[in-house]
Amino acid sequence: MRINGKKIILLIPMLTAGLFLFSCSAASPSGSTDGKEASAGTDGSGQDLIIQGTDPVKADDPAHNAVNFEHELDSYKPQKDSYNFYFTYKTVHPWWDAVALGMEEAQRQYLDRGITITYEYMAPDQASAEDQTKRLLEAEKKDYDVIGVDVADTEIISPILDRMVDDGIKVMTFSSSDAGEGCKRIAYVGNTHNYQDGADLTEALCKKLGYKGKVAILVGSVGAPCHEDRARGARDTITKYDNMEIVATEYDMDSVDLAYDLTKKILNDCPDLDGIVCCNMSNPVGAARAITEMKSDAVIVGMDHDEEALRYLKDGVIYCLGVQDCYSIGFDTIQTAVKIADGNVSGKLFPEKTDEITTVIYQKDAAVMLEILYGDIS
Amino acid sequence: MKQKRQITNRTFLLTAVIGSLIIVTIVTASTLWNAKKTGAATDEAVSAVSSFYLLTMAESHAKTVTNLIDNSFDEMRIAIAYIEDEDVDSQNDLREAIGKVESLLGMNQFALVDEDNVVYTRYTTYTGGSRHVFLEEESISDRIVSIVSLYGSSKQLCLAVPTPDLFIMGKRFKACFVQIDFNDIVNLLALDVQDRTHFALYSKNGSNLSGTQLGPVISNSNFLEAIHGIVSEDVWKENYENFEKGSEGSLSFGTGDAHQTLCYVPIEGTEWEMAVLIRESIIQDQIRDISIRNLNTSRRQVIYTFLSVLALAGVLLFQVGKLSKEKLEEEKETSRNFRNMANTDSMTGVRNKHAYSEQEKYINSQIEAGEIDKLAVVVGDINGLKYVNDNFGHVAGDQLIKDASALICGQFSHGAVFRVGGDEFTIILQGDGFDAMQESIDGLNRIVEDNIKENAVVISIGYSVLTAQDRCLNDVFERADRMMYERKKELKALGTPSGR
Repeated sequence: MRINGKKIILLIPMLTAGLFLFSCSAASPSGSTDGKEASAGTDGSGQDLIIQGTDPVKADDPAHNAVNFEHELDSYKPQKDSYNFYFTYKTVHPWWDAVALGMEEAQRQYLDRGITITYEYMAPDQASAEDQTKRLLEAEKKDYDVIGVDVADTEIISPILDRMVDDGIKVMTFSSSDAGEGCKRIAYVGNTHNYQDGADLTEALCKKLGYKGKVAILVGSVGAPCHEDRARGARDTITKYDNMEIVATEYDMDSVDLAYDLTKKILNDCPDLDGIVCCNMSNPVGAARAITEMKSDAVIVGMDHDEEALRYLKDGVIYCLGVQDCYSIGFDTIQTAVKIADGNVSGKLFPEKTDEITTVIYQKDAAVMLEILYGDIS
Repeated sequence: MKQKRQITNRTFLLTAVIGSLIIVTIVTASTLWNAKKTGAATDEAVSAVSSFYLLTMAESHAKTVTNLIDNSFDEMRIAIAYIEDEDVDSQNDLREAIGKVESLLGMNQFALVDEDNVVYTRYTTYTGGSRHVFLEEESISDRIVSIVSLYGSSKQLCLAVPTPDLFIMGKRFKACFVQIDFNDIVNLLALDVQDRTHFALYSKNGSNLSGTQLGPVISNSNFLEAIHGIVSEDVWKENYENFEKGSEGSLSFGTGDAHQTLCYVPIEGTEWEMAVLIRESIIQDQIRDISIRNLNTSRRQVIYTFLSVLALAGVLLFQVGKLSKEKLEEEKETSRNFRNMANTDSMTGVRNKHAYSEQEKYINSQIEAGEIDKLAVVVGDINGLKYVNDNFGHVAGDQLIKDASALICGQFSHGAVFRVGGDEFTIILQGDGFDAMQESIDGLNRIVEDNIKENAVVISIGYSVLTAQDRCLNDVFERADRMMYERKKELKALGTPSGR
C-alpha cells in the first residue's frame, strides 16, 4: 500500500469530525407564680446578688428571668360567665402598662374558657391620693364585682377601703403598694418586699463605694407604701456603715422632671455626692439626666424598668436597677379578682399576699432587658 | 525508490501523531475555555436572577403589608361610621358596638380614644397615655402607623386615625386604632414564602419588627448591627443610609461555604423595610450544581477524546506497521525472484554463467583468505551438440543440453552445477560433494561410455582439486578444462558418433 500526502490530508479532518461527533454524544447527560419569694441578680463583678431566696438557675440569666411571661390559669372554675372589675393605680406610667399586659393575658385565657372579663384600669396623670379617693368613691357606686387598688397613700386610702369592705364591696390591692397594716382588703397581689428591695439596692451601692461616702435618697410619692418602704430599707442600710452619710432625702411625686430638678439641687448643695438611691421608677431617670448633665461621678441605684433608665444602665450611668415582674402581677391580679368576686377569701385558693419577684440587673444585662421589654423600636 | 518510500511512511506517522496532539490540545483548550466562560457567565446570571427574584419577592411582601395597612384604615372608617349610627349612651353600649364591628369586619383589637386619652376596647377601658406613642400628641390630624412593644419581645402594629367628628357618651373622641399582632402579619407573608427563603420586617434603625429570622447569620437581630461585621464599612454605610432614607437595596455576603443574597424595599406608608433573603444562595447552588455537572461532562469529554485519539493513533500505527512489514516481505520476495532469474539458466534450471562469476568471486575471496581447504572443479562439455543442432534442429540440440544437465545434476547431487556456455558445464564441489567427487566422476564416465553405444548424451569431463599453489578458482578450472579436452579425445577414440 502506498500512503501519500493526499490521504493524510483527508485523514485529519475525518479524524477531527469523528472526534467531534463522539464528543457531542459523550456530552449529552443526561402559671401562676403563687408563693414567689425570690429575686436575684448578678452584680457587675460577676458575684450573685441575692435579694430573697435566690433560684440558682435563674441567677445565671437575670435579664431573661426577671419577668415570667409563661402563665396559665389554675384549675379554679369561676362561678359566673362574666365579671366586671375596676382597678385604679397610682399614675399613668409604663410600669403599670406592663401590669396591664399581664391582666390582658389572663383576660384572654378566661375568654378562651368562655368567661368574659371586663374591667376598667384607670389612673391620673400625676399620683394623687385625692384623685384615687375620688375614683374609688365613684367606683363604689357602680356594680363592679371587685375593686382593685394600687394604694397611693396608705394613710388616706386604707380607711376608705375598710369602709368599702364594710359596705359589702369586694376590695383587693395590687401592684407595688398594699394598704396599711390591718386593712380589711381581701388580698394583695404584688411586691411584698419593698423594704428589702431598698435595702439590697443600697447594699450594692455601699459595696460599690467601698462602704464610705455621701448618699442621697430619692423617693416617689409621699405616703406611697412601696416608695416609703424602700426608702426605709435604704436608710437602715446606710446607717449600718460609719463612713456613710445620708445628705438628702427628697420626694419627686413620681415625676421625672421633679426628680431631675431635685438631683441637680442635691448636687449643687453637695458637689462631692457619691451615690443616689432611687426608690421608684421616675427617680433613676431624673437622677441620671442630672448626673449626666452635671458630669457627676455619683453612683445611681434604682428601681424598675423604665426604658430611659435601662439605656442609662446600658451606658453605665446607672449602676443597677431592681426590676419587678409586672407581667405576673397583672396576671395574678385578674386571677385573684375572679376568685374574690365569687366570694372566696384568702387561704386555700389564693394567699392573702401573692408575692412577685424583683431582680437586680446590671450593665451587662441592660441590652437584653431592653430587647425583651421594649424591642429596641426606633 | 527505496529512500522515497521511507520518507513517505515517516511523514505519515509524524503527521498522524502531530495531528492527534493538535486535535487533543484544541479540544482540551476549547473545553476548558468554554467551562471557564460558562462559569463566569453563570455567576453573573445567577446574581442577576437572585437579585431580581428577591426584589420581586420583597416588593410582593411589601405590597401585602401595604394592602393590610390600607385595608385596616378602610375598615376603621367603616367602623367609626357604624358606631356613629348606633345609640351609644354608656360604656357598655360602646363595648357592645366595638364588639359588633370587630366581628363584622374581622378586626383585631379595635379601640377608641377619648380626649382624656382613655382607651375603650371591647372588654377593657384604660388610661393609655403612656402605652400608645401616638397619644403623646395633643391632637391627631392624619393617620398614624406605629409599633407597640408588648413587654416581652412581642410587638404589635398600631394603626390610628383621627375621629374629630365622633362625639358619644358626652365625650369627644380624638382617635380610633387597631392593633395587629406581628405574628399575624408573619403568618400572612409566610403563606407565599418558600421554605428556602427568609423575610423580616425592620424599622429604620434596623430593629427586627417581625421577630422572624433573616437567615442563620443575621437571624432576628438588628439588621444594621448584624451586617456590620460581615460587610465592608462602605457597604455598611450604604445600607445604613438606605434604611435611614427608606430606600431599597441589596446585599450579598459569604460566611463559610454559604453565600447569601438579600434584598430590601421600603413599605409604603411606613418607615419600615421589608427584607428577603435567599437561604444558602439556593439558586446559585442549584445552578452551580448544573455547572459542575457540565464541567464534569466536559472533563469526561476531554478524557474520552484523548483516549479515543490514543486508540485511533494506536490502530493507525499498528496498521501502518503491519502494512510496512507485508510490503517488506513482498519486496524481499520480488528481489529474490529477480536474483534467481539473473543467476539461473532458463533452459536447464541450473545456475548460469553470471551465477558462476559471482560464486567465483566469492570463492576467490575465500581462497585468498585461506578459508578453503577442500574444493574441486569439474568441467563438462557436451560432445556433438553442433552436429545435432545442424542435423536435427535446435529443439533436439536443446533437448541434448537438458539431458546433459540432468545427467550431471544426477551424478553431482552435492555439487553446485553451472551452465557456463552453450555446451559447457562447471561443477564446484565442496563438503560432501568434494568427498564424493571420485565416485561421481566414475559414475558419470561409466554412463557416458554406455551412452556411446546407445547413441545417447555423451559428456566429456575433466576435474582438478584446489592446491596450495592455486591463487584463484580459475587456476583449478584451467587444469580441469585441460583434462576435459583429454577426455574428449579419449571418448572420440571410444567411438563417439561423428561430429559428437
